[in-house]
Amino acid sequence: MSDTGVVLTDIRKSFGSLEVIHGIDLTIAEGSFVVFVGPSGCGKSTLLRMIAGLEEVTDGEIEIKGRNVTDLDPSDRGIAMVFQSYALYPHMSVRENLAFGLKMAHTDPAEIERRVKAASAILKIDPLLERRPGQLSGGQRQRVAIGRAIVRKPDVFLFDEPLSNLDAELRVSMRIEIARLHRELGNTMIYVTHDQTEAMTLADMIVVLRDGRVEQTGSPREIYENPANTFVAGFIGSPRMNLLNAEWVGDGSIRIGKSRIATRMDDKLMAPGDKLTLGVRPEHMNVVVDDEGTLRAKVDFYEYLGGTQFLYCQLEDGQAVTAEYRSPVPVQAGDILHFRWQADDLRFFDAAGLRLTDVVAGIWLCRV
Amino acid sequence: MTPSKTSLSKQRRACKSFRADSAYHATGIAICLFFLAPFVITFLASFRHGTEARLAPLPPWPTNGISIDSYLSLDTFGAGIWQHTINSLLVSVATVVLTVAVSLLAGYGFSRYRFPLKNVLFVLIIATLMIPFQSILTPLFIILAKLGLNNSLLGLTLVYVTLQLPFSIFMMRNAFDAVPKEIEEAARIDGARDLKLLVRVLLPLVLPGVATVAIFAFLNAWNEFLAALILLSSNEKYTLPVLMMAVRAGRLGAVNWGAVQAGVAVMTVPCLIVFLLLQRYYMRGLMAGAVK
Repeated sequence: MSDTGVVLTDIRKSFGSLEVIHGIDLTIAEGSFVVFVGPSGCGKSTLLRMIAGLEEVTDGEIEIKGRNVTDLDPSDRGIAMVFQSYALYPHMSVRENLAFGLKMAHTDPAEIERRVKAASAILKIDPLLERRPGQLSGGQRQRVAIGRAIVRKPDVFLFDEPLSNLDAELRVSMRIEIARLHRELGNTMIYVTHDQTEAMTLADMIVVLRDGRVEQTGSPREIYENPANTFVAGFIGSPRMNLLNAEWVGDGSIRIGKSRIATRMDDKLMAPGDKLTLGVRPEHMNVVVDDEGTLRAKVDFYEYLGGTQFLYCQLEDGQAVTAEYRSPVPVQAGDILHFRWQADDLRFFDAAGLRLTDVVAGIWLCRV
Repeated sequence: MTPSKTSLSKQRRACKSFRADSAYHATGIAICLFFLAPFVITFLASFRHGTEARLAPLPPWPTNGISIDSYLSLDTFGAGIWQHTINSLLVSVATVVLTVAVSLLAGYGFSRYRFPLKNVLFVLIIATLMIPFQSILTPLFIILAKLGLNNSLLGLTLVYVTLQLPFSIFMMRNAFDAVPKEIEEAARIDGARDLKLLVRVLLPLVLPGVATVAIFAFLNAWNEFLAALILLSSNEKYTLPVLMMAVRAGRLGAVNWGAVQAGVAVMTVPCLIVFLLLQRYYMRGLMAGAVK
């Protein structure tokens, strides 16, 4: 058995003359949980639908378990899909919904019954088997939709924003259930979402997409701690990473607005006057009392979340920064605060938005 | 609030709701009577005695006991009532079957496939609704004659299907548009393809649309008069409306009103049956697509 679950080779998709997926190469290890994440219109759903066979591939190849499935029908690819809108057959009972795919494949009735029973036991939907989808709640419907996928015993599960239609509480419990399901079944799962909490909590590997291109792939930790560019840095994390326009002034220092801040960056890599972007996560912005070599900012407003607070501040040059604030000392809108950070927590991006790690590999800048 | 006040307001509320309910039901009954009266009058009149039936149709009910004379005399017109009823049934059922089959496939195609000039074609089909039927009767007659289908029930059926299709395709396209695309995709993943997909998954979901199309096709084919009169020429091919024309014209200036009433009753019954059988779907069908 090959250890590659799904391999995409130079996948392209055009609608008429408009190319929406621009040559994606991706290898998904068998048994892994991969999440495609990105803003609306980035092509994540299109990519998933191409893997499912619901959308034709303009160019490139798709392999599932070492088998080229590019031109196969959806039902012959060894996949099962869970849709955002559940897409249950409204005129069939839950049992018939689960059994439909197997009936189409002329599976032995006793085997169908066994698999339906097994799936409904896993998802705890046994009491609902005789009901129609219209008589179920949103969460129950989603369970049935997942059940319909399970009975097919697919090589790959595809989820297209399956939790988007559920309320917040149900979403959390279904998320945990999907994680549990992955652990129990061990199949390859590909999951599309725009919700980064789902992406971070479920994924073994996250694929960040933008405008039909892969921006970065990696484990949730890699993506969070070492974003490859400003887009990924800004997209993953809530509140988003602060991305501040800065200027290299030489002597290992940068200038942000009027503040001159020392870094330990190598002088040879930059020329004075070079523009760069400094990235720092809100939780790494520490409030300090002294104002030497710190960033001065005025609190615009704040959000009190119980365990923590988020301060939305403005620098002297008008740039917005967000800081997480855990001190018991109360803060008011209009307060002037001084921020400092650990050198290890800073990320630098060049004028084009690319991470400077590659350029300055080997120096202290990042923990890679 | 004191207990007496509470019970008083309760009483008042009960009284008010009773009045509202009564008004509601009274109006309902009045409207029912209004709609049922023609049916009742026709059916009662059709059971009048032979001699009584030849008199003017007032009062409409049998005064000398019930008899089926009118139905028997109806059978003496044309090629006999059974022949004409069978003609009508053949034409109507064939129209329903063909219309449903074609509009189901066409509606599915227009709703789901992308092809060149799709919208132009659709508008063109809908636009034919605006052509008065009478204006194309002569060309239709000529075409049917060329095809060797004049004076045949098949030719008449084809004409009815053609006339019925624009509305039916429009109806079925709406019905298919109202079915979420994901359901079809889920079925494709489950391995349902082409005809199986259409019959096992989509057909049950567009059944209200199918019922609506079927009712319209049946009623229009069953009641249609002008085309049947013009396109059919031999006595034994006539459908019921044409027969009714002959009955209404009477013999030697005397109109057999009993036979007319019996004919109307015979013509009404199948329409009522079809409508009552399918009305549940029919109402849903007319609303499908309106509220998505």
